[in-house]
Formats: sequence, structure tokens, C-alpha cells
Amino acid sequence: MAAREDHETPLEKLPRRLEEEMKDESMLSPGFRSAAALAGWDEEALLLASLIVEDTPVRESRHKKRPGLLSKTPSSTHSIRKRRSQRQSPGSMPAVVLCLDDEEKGDQEDVGEKRREEGDDGVNEKEKNGEEGVSVEKDSGNGVPCIDRLREELSCAICLEVCFEPSTTPCGHSFCMKCLKSSASKCGKKCPKCRQLISNVRSYTVNTVLWNTIQLLFPKDIEVRKKAIKTKSPTSEAKIKTSLERRIRNTITRNARTISHAPRAITRDDDNNSSNRRIAPNQSQDAALALRLQREEFMEAFGENDTEQQPRNISVYAARNNLRAMASRAANFRRRGRFPFILD
Amino acid sequence: MSSSSTSFASGGGVRPWTSATSVSFSGKRIQKEMLDFNANPPADCSAGPKGDDLYHWVSTIIGPPGSPYEDGIFFLTITFPGDYPFKPPKVVFMTRIYHCNIDAAGNVSLDILKDGWSPAMTISKVILAIRAVFTDPDPYKPVVPNIARLYLTDRAKHDEIAAEWTMRFAR
Repeated sequence: MAAREDHETPLEKLPRRLEEEMKDESMLSPGFRSAAALAGWDEEALLLASLIVEDTPVRESRHKKRPGLLSKTPSSTHSIRKRRSQRQSPGSMPAVVLCLDDEEKGDQEDVGEKRREEGDDGVNEKEKNGEEGVSVEKDSGNGVPCIDRLREELSCAICLEVCFEPSTTPCGHSFCMKCLKSSASKCGKKCPKCRQLISNVRSYTVNTVLWNTIQLLFPKDIEVRKKAIKTKSPTSEAKIKTSLERRIRNTITRNARTISHAPRAITRDDDNNSSNRRIAPNQSQDAALALRLQREEFMEAFGENDTEQQPRNISVYAARNNLRAMASRAANFRRRGRFPFILD
Repeated sequence: MSSSSTSFASGGGVRPWTSATSVSFSGKRIQKEMLDFNANPPADCSAGPKGDDLYHWVSTIIGPPGSPYEDGIFFLTITFPGDYPFKPPKVVFMTRIYHCNIDAAGNVSLDILKDGWSPAMTISKVILAIRAVFTDPDPYKPVVPNIARLYLTDRAKHDEIAAEWTMRFAR
């Protein structure tokens, strides 16, 4: 694309570009320009940014900027500055969007470039193109040309639907995890497709790449099936609730332990809490963390939203009292020798 | 330490076994097969539910050219089990046929309809397999040994009788 554009860039374009740049100079303050340079914008993007309202996504300005950059005869200082600024701010790189209809979009980009080269008042047109680009990106899932073939390829031979949580056998065939397990339990441990012996199906995992691909390609199908599963097992919700409660309780006791250690300035860790305390903390930090966690857990567990309205220190005081009680319990545990490795 | 993790695991309880072979599962699968079959049916075959019941189908196979069953129209009933596709469908010939792999009651002895069944098979594949058996009988695994013997010893005679039966029953 770049090479073609080099051919197409005639000399007559030069004065026009100079004009454009002069326009830039007149419109933008030098401070803004340097800031923009830091952010890795070039003149064209700047001009765009000054003309287009602020709700235009950053990606688009980048999007349009790139071909412009290539078509320009590169002034050395500019390109160096550009490269440096890009290196400095990798965080400002646009998020990569999975784009399955590259060809289509490439065509659109081409059109956009042509229009830009044709007329100087192309800003509005560019804006339009940008919007088109966005809409194409949005429904990229359905715009895949051979979607029917893909559906066929990615469907499970057992349920004949698009694989749901696909699992791949050692012989390379993929089925829904559930279908594969049912097949193994009812039809013997062989691949439904090629009859090769398959070992322990219980240990099979979801083929993540395939699963993600399927989710990207057929979001609607997957949504429907997820809903169907949800309605099929109404008990699962209750179970989640109880498990959540248990988890909360566990965290609370863990926090209590943490706090009971704090006064003794123990930097060694006893249990799962290690993730919270990678760096050896000092007493007050530790206690504060525990308190904060404790408060959050309480809010979650008992829905005490009104504590936010209460003066902060009252709730902290109440929490501390609670913690003390639990800490003493935890200390008793330890004295009984549950945690012999804790330094006293 | 481990107490917390174990209690959490037990908190989740035993994962309920949601059977994938509910009636709706097999029903869905049969429905899909029906659509696929109608979208691109195999040559000289047809199949579809008998009435409203998805689990009982009727199928017709036209005798493949070049075989003694040429131009015969053979009717079959297909019955899907409740745990289809994990169990094979039952295929029975309603039309009488002189064939060493198909007994007088119309039962087909085909490996893929017994131990060789795989849930990845579809009814269109089954019908194609049956059609293949028309042209290539397997006399070494016969259900009607007499026909198999004749097939091996006097192929011309066998074909003659088969064609005669086709004329008589399948037209």
C-alpha cells in the first residue's frame, strides 16, 4: 500500500500540504503542539483533533493518521521525534481490536485515502469514513464471509451445534466438553470421530483458544446456550450464594488472624493471606489492611450500606471490637498448636 | 490454611450431574439432523418424521444403479432411542429384500448400527451406509446364511433372485 502511494504522490500535492501545515500553525498553540508530539500525534492528526469534537475515539485518529504518515515524504526530524515519542509512551498505543474482515476494511481505508487526496475539505468526509469504520468493526462478528463454513467446522459432531466449551482429544478432534464426557461414559472411551482410544476424559480441559474464537464468532449462539444452562439449573444460584458466604466467613477469620499477628510484629506469613502481604509490612499497615478488608466484608455480608453515612470512626471502632474477639479465638487456635511455625 | 480451601470446596457441594442426554438434547439433535438432511439430502434417498413424533422416521432408498436392486424403492422405518445420539437408531426395512445382511423381518445387520456406532454419526451417514451395502453385501457377516452362500458360490443366480424380489416387492 505504501509503495503504491509513493507512486501516486505527485509533486503538485506539495504546495497543498504546505498550506495545510500553515493552517496548523495558525490554529494551534505551540504548547499544544509539543504536548501532542509527546503523545505521538502528527500534524494531520492534530488538525483532525482540533476540528473533530472530543468524543471521537483516539483509535480513529490513529487509524487515519497511519496512511497519511506513509504517504508523506518523511522529514527526518519529524520521524525521529515520532518514533521516540512512541517508544516513550507505549501505553498510548491503541488497543488491538480483533478484526476479522481485514480485507473489507482495507478497501474502505483505501477509499478514505483517495478521498483525502482528492480534496482538501475532506475533513468531514474523513469523519464519515471514521464512523463507517467503527460500524464495520462493531458487527465484524457477522461480516465474516465464510461464516457458514466456519460454523460447520466449529460445530460439535455430537450435538451438531457450535461447540460449547470445546475440548480437544489427543487425536485432534474437538467436541463440547459435556458431549465428549457423555460420549465417553455411554459409548466407551474412544473418539467419536475416529474411534481412537482416548484416555481419562475427566482430566480434559477446555481448549481456550478455540473457545474464545467461537465466542467471538458466534456470540449470539453462545449467549442462548448460556441462558439455557442457567435456566436448567436454578439451584446453582443458591449454591453460589452459600459458597460466597463461606468465603466471606473464611476471609474474616483470616483477617482476624492477621490482626492478631500484627501486635507481635510477625512478618512471617501463616496461610493463604500471603498474597495480601508479599512485602513484609509493618504493624500499622497490616492492621489497616485487615481493617479495610474487614469493613468491606461486613458491608458485603450484611448489606450495611448505611455505615457509609455513619461517621467513619464509629464503624471502624465496631469492626475493631469484632476483630479483637475473633483474634482472641484465633490466638487460642494457635496456642493449641495449629500453627506451630508462627514465631511468638 | 488448608481448612479454608477445603471448606470452600465442600461449600460448593457436589456438582449436580446434569445429564446431557435429556429428551430435549436428543430432540434438538434430531431436529438439527432433519434440517441438515433436508438442506442437502443424499442422492436417491429421503427421510423424515412419520408424523409429529420426531423419534419415528420413515425413509426411502432407491436401489442404486448397477446393483440387482436397481430402481427398487425400499421403505425403512428409523426409530431413535431416547439417549440418541449416544445409542444408535434402529433401522428396519419395511420392504422385503433379498440380501444376506437383511433378515426376513427387515433388521439390518450393520456394524455401525451396533457396536460400531459413534455419536458423531448422523442419519444421513447411516442411510448412505445402507445404500453402500446394497452394492456391496458383506457375505462374511450374514444374517441370512443361505443368501450369503449363494452370493459367494453363484453370484449370477443370487443377482437374478434379488432382481426378481425387487421387481416383486419394491415397485
